[in-house]
Amino acid sequence: MDIQFRAIEGNSLGYKATMATFALFAITGVIATFYIIHSGLWVTGMYMRVPWGLQIVLAVFYIGLSAGSLVISGLYGVFGKLEYKPFARLAVYVAMMFLIAGLLSIITDQGRIDRVFVQPFVFLNPQSMFSINPFLYTGHIAICVVYLWALFYEKKKLTTFIATLAFGWAFCVHSGTGMIFGFGARMLYESPLLPASFVAAAMASGCAFMIITIVTLFKLANRPLDDGLIQWLGRFLAITIIVVIYFLFAENAYRVYVVELRSAGIYFLFGGWHSLFFWIGLMLIGMFLPLFILFNRRTGKQIKWIIIASAMVVFGVLCERYVIVLPGLTHPPELFPGWEITQSPLIEGIASYQVSFLEFLQALGVFGIIGFMFGWGLKYLKLLPTEARMLH
Amino acid sequence: MNRRDFLKATGGTIVAVGSGAYAFRFMTQTNTRFRHAGLPEGQTQKLYGMVIDLTKCEPGCTACMDACRRENNIAEPGAEENHERWDIHWIRKVRMESGVGEVHREREIPLLCNHCDNPPCAQVCPVQATYKRHDGIVIVDQHRCIGCRYCMIACPYNARYFNFKDHHADWTNPDHPKRSHGVAEACNLCAHRLDVGQKPACVEACEQIGCGAIMVGDLNNPTEGELHNPEDLVSRFIAENPVQRIRDDLGTEPKVYYYGL
Repeated sequence: MDIQFRAIEGNSLGYKATMATFALFAITGVIATFYIIHSGLWVTGMYMRVPWGLQIVLAVFYIGLSAGSLVISGLYGVFGKLEYKPFARLAVYVAMMFLIAGLLSIITDQGRIDRVFVQPFVFLNPQSMFSINPFLYTGHIAICVVYLWALFYEKKKLTTFIATLAFGWAFCVHSGTGMIFGFGARMLYESPLLPASFVAAAMASGCAFMIITIVTLFKLANRPLDDGLIQWLGRFLAITIIVVIYFLFAENAYRVYVVELRSAGIYFLFGGWHSLFFWIGLMLIGMFLPLFILFNRRTGKQIKWIIIASAMVVFGVLCERYVIVLPGLTHPPELFPGWEITQSPLIEGIASYQVSFLEFLQALGVFGIIGFMFGWGLKYLKLLPTEARMLH
Repeated sequence: MNRRDFLKATGGTIVAVGSGAYAFRFMTQTNTRFRHAGLPEGQTQKLYGMVIDLTKCEPGCTACMDACRRENNIAEPGAEENHERWDIHWIRKVRMESGVGEVHREREIPLLCNHCDNPPCAQVCPVQATYKRHDGIVIVDQHRCIGCRYCMIACPYNARYFNFKDHHADWTNPDHPKRSHGVAEACNLCAHRLDVGQKPACVEACEQIGCGAIMVGDLNNPTEGELHNPEDLVSRFIAENPVQRIRDDLGTEPKVYYYGL
């Protein structure tokens, strides 16, 4: 199958306005980050009891998105599904952008950003997941660059090799990210299932995001796209949703069943605002409604509905990342089982977390940077095919 | 793939994984195997530990907390709204209760870094800024810390602190460094004082007010090198009294022992 790729012209007002908006976001984010660096992290919503916040939530969300995007390119590169070749370049580029976004989110969250670029590589601690992950992330970006090069120059053998490597590497990256939490010391973090459920949610959100991106870009660029390709991706998305639901069920059933984790498990499911994120944001909007839409005979075939379901899944997985990170921190570690701490100079009981405006701007900045890079890529690299059709 | 290739690949994988695992094990040694290395024959490496005798600890007294602040240049609790969100207390006293009616109990207990023998904070630190010294003291190198706060997540005792703010006004002890915002810290058992044969500030303050509830000494050696009177020997006290450690079940091997909990 001969596929032509052509960059978009990028002369329209819409393109320029979008790029200008991304640039504005990026500049705002840079200013907010400098302000936070200068003042100290107390100007964010984080504090002693909740030392991680929005940036870490978004970092794991972005890194998850990159995995799913890569899966779409793997359909051609690893499994040889030729009809998905038109999306392969775009998928790898999106994966790369999200990895950069994840890294930027983590870097801007550090207390001493000036030390981030040297210390972790010089004083590597092989016992720390936080130490291993930078190598996995930067390695993954490097692999994506080679992968993209192989796709651009149609190097078939190299493509298969590097696609398989990227696929395996992606599993390591996402399991590694899940392990940061799964192997943490908070009651709601300790779970060997977390790395696996992290990979599953990553697949779902990444696949959903790629569906939205592909349909939107083809429509904006006025290029023909076969509905069948998106319908198949919709079914693939439905399967990943079922896997995510299964992991969530197993994980929470374990927490509520085991006596020592029960109070934490009940806190997670019914203990505060985060429970709404879990039940409404993740389970209802992010999982069951999209599943209903995708399995329904009528809506499951309509591109409009598949897009709506995909957007819901992306939102749901964002909620999932929130409930992975925050409730584990707001729930207190049990220092003295059977005792209640009634007085302390610190906040010892259930804590709370609110995103500060500066953190929001910082997050907007990261989004702006990758949005701008993505837009740039569409204009200057041949990422988008002239058409995408089913093979008959 | 024929049988020969399969065997080659399998053998290669086993050797690679095995040597990798051994290298990992070697790099991550945390047991006492090398603890006595380089010392004269018969002499053992010190292993500092602490005993807090709650039966002697005066309710409402904050002498240990105050002395710790002065010694280690820890800022006084702020006056602004929500200051408890960012205040640092290397040692803090908490009041806790359990049971109701006749079985109702109340305790006031000083909490600090437990200087675990298996410190999760050091394990997770991506730049080895937090590490365990040979004498068992868990310490933070603030010049290396990148401020990722993973140690705070990993510590099961809520004993790690992060400098969310700069504290320019507080430099009560010019011989001891201050910390910039953006780095983590925790009790270092006054390592700088122990190194020159002095007692930690909290121990000294507690003795000065006549309580003597806190003791620090060598857990490896019951007779020599103690920083206390012979009757207060830490290792002997631990051997002869029903002491407890906080969340002993976690496997972190804390080295702060409580009596009368």
